[in-house]
Amino acid sequence: MLRFEKRETTPASLKFIVPTVSVIIGLIIGAIAILIKGVNPLHVYNALLIGAYSSKYTFSETLVAATPLILISAGLILVFKMNFWNIGAYGQYIMGAIFSSYFAIFWSPNIPKPIMLTVMVIAGMVGGAIWAVIPALLKAYWEVNEVISTLLLNYIALFILKYFMYGTWRDPLSHGFPLSKPFPNNAQLPRIIPHTRVNLGLIFGIIAVIVIWIILKKTKFGYEIRVIGENARAAHYAGINVAKNIVIAMAISGALAGLAGMVQVSGIIHLLQIKINPDYGYTAIIVAWLAYLDPIAASFVAVLLGGLASGGYQIQIVMHVPFGIVNVIESSILFVLIGSEIFTKYRVHFERKKPIPVSKIGGE
Amino acid sequence: MNASHHLVIIALLSAAVQSGTILLFPTIGEIFAERAGILNLGVEGMMIVGALIGFIVTYVTKNPYLGFIVGTIAGGLTALIHAFVSITLRGNQVVSGLALTIFGLGFTNFYGQRWINLKLNVTPSVLPIPLLSKIPFIGPIFFKQDALVYTSYIVAIVMWFILYKTKVGVHLRATGQNARAADAMGVNVYATRYWWTFFGGLLAGAGGAYLTIGYASFWLDGMTAGRGWIAIALVIFAMWDPLNAMIGAYLFGGIDALQLQLQAIGVTIPSSLLNMLPYLLTFIVIVIATLVVRMKHISAPKELGIPYNREEK
Repeated sequence: MLRFEKRETTPASLKFIVPTVSVIIGLIIGAIAILIKGVNPLHVYNALLIGAYSSKYTFSETLVAATPLILISAGLILVFKMNFWNIGAYGQYIMGAIFSSYFAIFWSPNIPKPIMLTVMVIAGMVGGAIWAVIPALLKAYWEVNEVISTLLLNYIALFILKYFMYGTWRDPLSHGFPLSKPFPNNAQLPRIIPHTRVNLGLIFGIIAVIVIWIILKKTKFGYEIRVIGENARAAHYAGINVAKNIVIAMAISGALAGLAGMVQVSGIIHLLQIKINPDYGYTAIIVAWLAYLDPIAASFVAVLLGGLASGGYQIQIVMHVPFGIVNVIESSILFVLIGSEIFTKYRVHFERKKPIPVSKIGGE
Repeated sequence: MNASHHLVIIALLSAAVQSGTILLFPTIGEIFAERAGILNLGVEGMMIVGALIGFIVTYVTKNPYLGFIVGTIAGGLTALIHAFVSITLRGNQVVSGLALTIFGLGFTNFYGQRWINLKLNVTPSVLPIPLLSKIPFIGPIFFKQDALVYTSYIVAIVMWFILYKTKVGVHLRATGQNARAADAMGVNVYATRYWWTFFGGLLAGAGGAYLTIGYASFWLDGMTAGRGWIAIALVIFAMWDPLNAMIGAYLFGGIDALQLQLQAIGVTIPSSLLNMLPYLLTFIVIVIATLVVRMKHISAPKELGIPYNREEK
């Protein structure tokens, strides 16, 4: 029989050991899944590692994948801390891409680059924030379940994107493919490492992490977020405006997801299309949890999972191993991590079975 | 209205029932998991596992009923991951459910590739029910369907009866409302939650299996396309009642059938906007349903999402 004793605090060592073990077990489960398919998992993992970390170029692609994860997870941490479940980064990212692309597609290519990029950054953040504030308001004032509302908004955003790409935003020269015209130079984020796709977006990500860290540790807003996360009702009675905090935190979270979408179209693909990888919005949830909602830890986890993603694209192309294996590994990591909460929150004792004293049944 | 219009409307509503069946199974399943206090956001993942496994078994054995049963069981087994993490290990149910969705989509993408572009040449045959199918209007819509659709009617009615009229239902509801009190009544909280989470998975698998076997006859990566999330929204719309779930499921099945029909006859509305319709409508309905639920003072099961620890306190 197992007995659980509640811990006062979680030892720092466990916060490192548990995620590490989770990743290892996740990789083992992934290996079993690959084995069942009749492929040698060692070959796949080898190719994945090579595809993610082996050379300057492959590592740069890992950073390219990590950039949106860093931006999005930083914002998610803010709202997850208050137990607000923003599952809508996928849609907020798409809206950010759409809003910023508008200027790249329809404004003159002769506008000075700094002005154009500033407008696009603001537009991307506004687009993401709008898409996040809608469910925040609905939750704050009408108690509409945010998991469902943010998720449905993801699908709605995807169809809005399709509407534009099959409609007026499609490039007449694209031979019918749902692509916008290529962004002119003034709408392309500068690359910061030569001969790679690593761009200014990574710097945005680092700034975002620092800002979120400061908000959480050093501001009254950050303090209120933590109080709300611990007990929203108590926070309300303590005079904290819970609704206002939810809306502001979601606006920031959505803005960062929208910025990630802007970075993807302006810094990486240089046009708007239907496939802009909004799935980063879901992966960033895993990043945030693996990092125990610590923005600085999250940026390192983002590089790890960014590697898994960019390596995953490589093995799909080189070995024809479907990308789904990355999702199997990610979800397994998450299950182990969530399941291990019992070890971080409780001390576990093994002892012989004995009946529960009557006084403990039904008593408060 | 002339005869041909009449037939078109009947065909449309009959398609609405079929499309609604894909949602009805998982909605009822989630109602029961939530009634037991377990929030499982992995419906989409469980559905798609049921859809793929159901498809494969039907394709290989040429028996749609066997495919449906195995797909159903596959959904149930998938749910056990969530049950173990959230009941035994008391993990966060929101995150675990999301992980289950990511898992299901990844698993089926990984193993489903070689089944794309194949078509089932067997489908469950339409079995008109004697007498009932002769009722004007209603008959051909509801009683000229296949056995899997009839199964969903039976499940809805039987589960309503179990929920409100049996001891099992009393215990189930008590577990979701106040697990400690249920425990004191002699209910095994852990076993109850395990069973109903498994049951929720079975019905999610059934919905997915119906999608590939009864509705589409092919397999496509990610083909559940958010229906699992619509089902979770319908749980609130149905106010945790299996019979209300029928109304919600057919309403959304109707929207789905209508937008497909409009695309087929080539209306000038872009298909992306028509495709958006079910999600947009679910979004609006969930807002309204939340307000109505609050006005009527109906609430979700009180301990929904809260793990039970027998030894605490």
